[in-house]
Amino acid sequence: MQRIELNIPSNPIFERVVRASAAELGAAFGFSDERVEDLKLAISEAVNNAIDHGNHGEVNKLVAVVFEIDGEKLEIRISDQGTGMEGHDVSRHVIDEQSLEAGYLRGFGMYLISELVDDYEVNSSQKGTVLTLRLYRRSE
Amino acid sequence: MSDIIRREEFGDVAVLHITSTSVDAISAAAIAAEYEQMRPITVLDFSEVSFINSAGISALLKFVVSARKSGYKLFAMHVSPHHQKIFKMVEMSRFMPPIDDRDLAEFR
Repeated sequence: MQRIELNIPSNPIFERVVRASAAELGAAFGFSDERVEDLKLAISEAVNNAIDHGNHGEVNKLVAVVFEIDGEKLEIRISDQGTGMEGHDVSRHVIDEQSLEAGYLRGFGMYLISELVDDYEVNSSQKGTVLTLRLYRRSE
Repeated sequence: MSDIIRREEFGDVAVLHITSTSVDAISAAAIAAEYEQMRPITVLDFSEVSFINSAGISALLKFVVSARKSGYKLFAMHVSPHHQKIFKMVEMSRFMPPIDDRDLAEFR
């Protein structure tokens, strides 16, 4: 197993660092360009969730991102230092007239993650939230 | 004027060339601020954009909301195949349909 760990302060600029790392790792893992883009977006959403909803943007709180390559599996764990989250809405969230009228212009992150990775799980407690993403190498 | 948007106008048309490669939480505010300067036909040019996330989508929706309130038309051009897929997933394409160079040229 090969393992890479990044720890970033809760500032969105550092999400770009994680995203760049994910791009390099995805390419090295043998993903197609399209799958690398999917990986970048899923990780971006997960890290931004950890920054915004987990750590509430407190820059002294870290977001840990662990990449693990185990055979045909790439697993990424994104952890925050918050106090846990109650719900994780992964229902299909699309833009429609009602949400536009209501000014509800956010909330696509978990839905996008659920569509872009092979599987994922959320573990949340008072010690924080860990979002685990898994993508498998496959012939494309 | 934003250094993230390069603006081009002719007649009732404004073409907003997004010059940031990432439409994300960092660039979102500067991009969204441009919605107040929309024209009856506004085109967002994504030719230099290589990444869009949900924070970026939220910024783009400011243009959608403004266009709907004003009765303006909003289009997207040079959207990469990956971003076309993402726009389709969240149904952005319904509110910001694609326009190509040839159709845009007819407005000039």
